[in-house]
Amino acid sequence: MSITLDFNGKNLAKSKQLDLHYLPAKIDGDGEANVEQYFNNYTREATEFGSGILTNALRGYPLVGEQLKVPEGYRGLVLQETEKPISESSDRQLRLTGVFGDFTYWNYDKVPSNGDAYRQALLLADVAQALSQPITEHDLEAEIARNKENAKESP
Amino acid sequence: MSDQEDIEVKQEDQTIEDINEKDEKRDDEDLKDTDKISSLKTLGPFIAGKENSRNTVYLSDVPDVCKDKPCMLGVDEAGRGPVLGPMVYGISYCPLESKKALEDLGCADSKQLTEEKRDVIFNDINTKEYATSCVGWAVEIISPNTISTSMYRRSKCSLNEVSMDSAMGLIQQAIDAGVNIAEVYVDTVGPPEKYQEKLLKRFPTFKITVAKKADSTYPIVSAASICAKVTRDHALKVWKFPEGLVIKDNAFGSGYPGDPVTKRFLTEHIDLVFGFPRLVRFSWSTAENALADKAYDMEFDEPDSEKPKYAGTKLTKFFKGTTKSGEVIREECRFFKQRHLGNVMEF
Repeated sequence: MSITLDFNGKNLAKSKQLDLHYLPAKIDGDGEANVEQYFNNYTREATEFGSGILTNALRGYPLVGEQLKVPEGYRGLVLQETEKPISESSDRQLRLTGVFGDFTYWNYDKVPSNGDAYRQALLLADVAQALSQPITEHDLEAEIARNKENAKESP
Repeated sequence: MSDQEDIEVKQEDQTIEDINEKDEKRDDEDLKDTDKISSLKTLGPFIAGKENSRNTVYLSDVPDVCKDKPCMLGVDEAGRGPVLGPMVYGISYCPLESKKALEDLGCADSKQLTEEKRDVIFNDINTKEYATSCVGWAVEIISPNTISTSMYRRSKCSLNEVSMDSAMGLIQQAIDAGVNIAEVYVDTVGPPEKYQEKLLKRFPTFKITVAKKADSTYPIVSAASICAKVTRDHALKVWKFPEGLVIKDNAFGSGYPGDPVTKRFLTEHIDLVFGFPRLVRFSWSTAENALADKAYDMEFDEPDSEKPKYAGTKLTKFFKGTTKSGEVIREECRFFKQRHLGNVMEF
């Protein structure tokens, strides 16, 4: 089985910019939504919770959110599978719907904080970078020297 | 069919604009300042100028006598039950000795007044010299959006709490504006005792009376009730949908779940994702049921409501005295032990 990502990585900058909301709810439906009129119209700044904090509501449920950037070195893409694979072994093809550099993150009645699952999950980006960054000979020697220095200071 | 409807709607718009234009020409001065309610006519423009997804508070000018002479203050609400539109809290106050003005206004039993009569009294309160010189009032329009989001908070806030907070907020604002309050009369639908206790705790120096149907017993409550009811009716009349809906004459019915016009409005204006326009109180079971049937299912992340798997030693552990074999061993009570006393069953 192979998965084809059907877009040209070099043309991403020219792709459609998307306005996205990360919602704390599972919506059992697929299709267009009147986001502008039913939702964006009601987004308000709530300085009482801090700068940049926003409020809104979804079906009467209070939301507290903020505008977030995609982490540095990453790019947000929305991919869509137009044809569902018939079996697990069949080839799959994902098409590009659009790209995003930032989005609105919403919590249900909770000011966004480092306790949020989203922020916790994104720590992986730092870990991944630390693990996959190539280490040069020079870095290694510097690290050994530092360790020796530390050992001397605290016998 | 749909084309025809479109045309109708447009014509409707035109006529409304025409009327507005004429109105503006006629009393330019009156309508210029939409931050002040000086008559019945200015109430609509004032409300229309505010965001209808948020609460709005309005305080009339405080008559000078109300700052000197001890006053009575009445509190009542309008629009608690309906599934549509704001709930409005109203207060009105006047010196204890100015009861006559309330009688002249016709503030008797507000429930027996027709809509027209209430409008006339509201206009009189704001325009007639004998009233403006001694009667002041204030309202808070609690938006349906606020009602829904309060009731759907993680720690749910009941409509009663929302109501009491609003009532106490308005009384506080009257105090801050300089009203010399001596007596407070509150109409309530719930049990009066609890409400009275809470009010007394917050305002210990006032003589506070909380009673059912206070609006028919106390003219000052009746005046508050009229201000609240007229404001709620106007809020619905001038409601503009940020969602872009256009409803002919804003005919949603009374807003009570039993009203067929309201029922039809609810079933015909469901958005699959967002549910209803925010004129609707989502937290009403009528609204919830309609969405459960017709809109997409939506499940919120509510980890706070999950039962904790381990919450420390079970409280019931201390009541158990059985061993594995099933025999009951109870430690002797210290009282008996220290006194060398024991249970004896056989002699």
